[in-house]
Amino acid sequence: MMERKERKPYWRHTKWQVLASVVPFLVLIIVLPLYADSLNSERFLGFPLGYFLSAHGIAIIAIFTVASFVNRQDAIDHWHGAHEDM
Amino acid sequence: MSVTSRTRFVNPRLGTYFGIFASSLAGLVLLLLIFEELGTSETLLRWGMLLGPLLLYAAIGVCVPTREPIEFFAAGRRVPAGYTGLGIAVATMGATGIVAITGVFFLIGFDALCLVIGGLAGYVIMAIMLAPFFRKFGTFTVPSYLGRRFESKTVRLLSAACMIVPATLMLAAELRMGAFAGAWLVGQPQALMIFILAAAFVVTTLLGGMRSLTWSGSAEAIAAVLALLVPVTIVAVMVTNFPLPQLTNGPLLRALMYSEAAHGLPIVDAPTLGFALPTEGAAHIAKRFTVPYGAVGPTAFVVAMLTVLAGVAASPWLIPRVTMTPGVYETRKSLGWATVYFGLIMLTCAAIAVYMRDFVMDLVKAGVPGNLPDWMQHLIALGFVTVEGAAPVAYTSFAFVRDSVLLSLPVAAGLPSVFLYFAATGIVAAALVGAGATASAIGNVIEEDIVNGFSSEPLPRVGRLHLARLAMAGTAAGGAMVALLAPTDPLRLLLWSLAIAGSTFFPVLVLSIWWKRMNDFGAIAGLGSGFAVAVLTILAGESNILGLDGALAGIVGLPAGALGAVLASLATPQPTRSVLELVREIRIPGGEVIYDREMRLLRLKNRERS
Repeated sequence: MMERKERKPYWRHTKWQVLASVVPFLVLIIVLPLYADSLNSERFLGFPLGYFLSAHGIAIIAIFTVASFVNRQDAIDHWHGAHEDM
Repeated sequence: MSVTSRTRFVNPRLGTYFGIFASSLAGLVLLLLIFEELGTSETLLRWGMLLGPLLLYAAIGVCVPTREPIEFFAAGRRVPAGYTGLGIAVATMGATGIVAITGVFFLIGFDALCLVIGGLAGYVIMAIMLAPFFRKFGTFTVPSYLGRRFESKTVRLLSAACMIVPATLMLAAELRMGAFAGAWLVGQPQALMIFILAAAFVVTTLLGGMRSLTWSGSAEAIAAVLALLVPVTIVAVMVTNFPLPQLTNGPLLRALMYSEAAHGLPIVDAPTLGFALPTEGAAHIAKRFTVPYGAVGPTAFVVAMLTVLAGVAASPWLIPRVTMTPGVYETRKSLGWATVYFGLIMLTCAAIAVYMRDFVMDLVKAGVPGNLPDWMQHLIALGFVTVEGAAPVAYTSFAFVRDSVLLSLPVAAGLPSVFLYFAATGIVAAALVGAGATASAIGNVIEEDIVNGFSSEPLPRVGRLHLARLAMAGTAAGGAMVALLAPTDPLRLLLWSLAIAGSTFFPVLVLSIWWKRMNDFGAIAGLGSGFAVAVLTILAGESNILGLDGALAGIVGLPAGALGAVLASLATPQPTRSVLELVREIRIPGGEVIYDREMRLLRLKNRERS
């Protein structure tokens, strides 16, 4: 069970983690498709690179963002004693 | 003290049960394939493919009845992350997303990605900023959460009223798309199929509520994903010798780029706020596949993406699904699974579009007028394609019905008819998942927050469940009537629904967790302004008063909702100490689920009273 004095540090830590996960992700999903046309002259796995990054790339980035957030946030929960009982 | 646990009560045999379901479905398809080779009548094959899976879903739903509210409304809070994620991924855009987005990919290529990226980003934002906190709170509906968070019955009733509009639009879209596929499959009128789908929802849900819906919905989602994957995987093996259609269509895409350039398919530049998604019905291939911003302008692309993001992240029919997971950690994981499944589904839709364009490219390369191959003549006979103009054959000679592109692939590849019917039954399954998610959410809101909206105590157990059943059945009937009376393009309905849901709920839900200062006045102003501005923008856009497509209503709805919430909160007194303490508690994953604790204390109080 979490101690009362841990609440503020826990929430500060959580907020930084959320910012670190959300901001780069939002920047990427907005910027990547805008440069797709110029990247399409290159290729990757046979795909035009701009299309590949906007479709497959963003899907992979989204999965990676959630997975890394789940792991990092779980570590934060344990560090501050805010986790659920096993 | 009771506490939440990550792994409590999860049935270890779920994998076995759904393995049996998937095997039964595969067995049915193989059996019908044998019947087709033996020359059995088409009618029998078509009805078998529609009714066989429907009976399996109904059997699963009927086999898990319950009389306990926690089971009825939250499936006992023991649905593992993988199944929750699968349900959320398929319910997000349902059959409308799968069918229409495949057609949109085929007709305008790259620009369809604004919807896909928006959906994926919606899960990311939901996983990080909303769902874990909603799970800690544990209420069965979003209006119940908002009402308790702001200690306001007005907020509860207002959010319930606002929620019904986008959810009904989504329900109507799903019923219409499911009816389109079902009616085509068995040759019956769409009106009849709408009522068959509504009845299938009622049968699968009535006895066990969300428990029935979760498990029958998981089976439907598995069927939808298999029906989407199997035909295109076979085509991928035929064309590229590799069973990964999502990753192996790259070389085809390169060939397509050269062919489209050589045959003069134009490079179009859309206005920056242009949003010309293909509508229901036949349309020509308008632009090159990989060249962006030909139908959707760059600004409209970003706005549509953010609107879909907000709509998915805050949709009041998806968020309650996370309260069924065993804990906060599982909730976060479930959204990770939803991202995986949604990405897989949408990349498969894109792959189907590329393969279909590849088949058209072969025709254009051959350039033989008046001597179209059998598969194209079959598609024309089915009404999926019309051919216009004389020689030479060009990309613009063909007008494809947007919602038939998904069904066209098995025909173009020369697969047996059963694969075509399997694809159609997959669309019906996806429609049932989408319609089930929205209809059950509306039914729960009617019972929990409208009929019982003025009371902080739930109704007595038996009455509560009977009323919820009645509300769900009534919602299904109402949704069917709306689908019949408002025959609008299902994709438009879906996009409007997401725009309204995002504008209304996204700012308020996010601020309710991340800004302690927000109070009930802020919530009322945020909900009201977001909803009103989004609805007015859609109406103005559709009547050409405003040069902005209704699907982009989030560009004004989201800031209006956020501004309304912030300004009204700052202009009125701070929340009470008990509300601040509640918000602090929501933010911590450990400890007892807040709603469950309140119900436990209420039971104790009632026992002492009696």
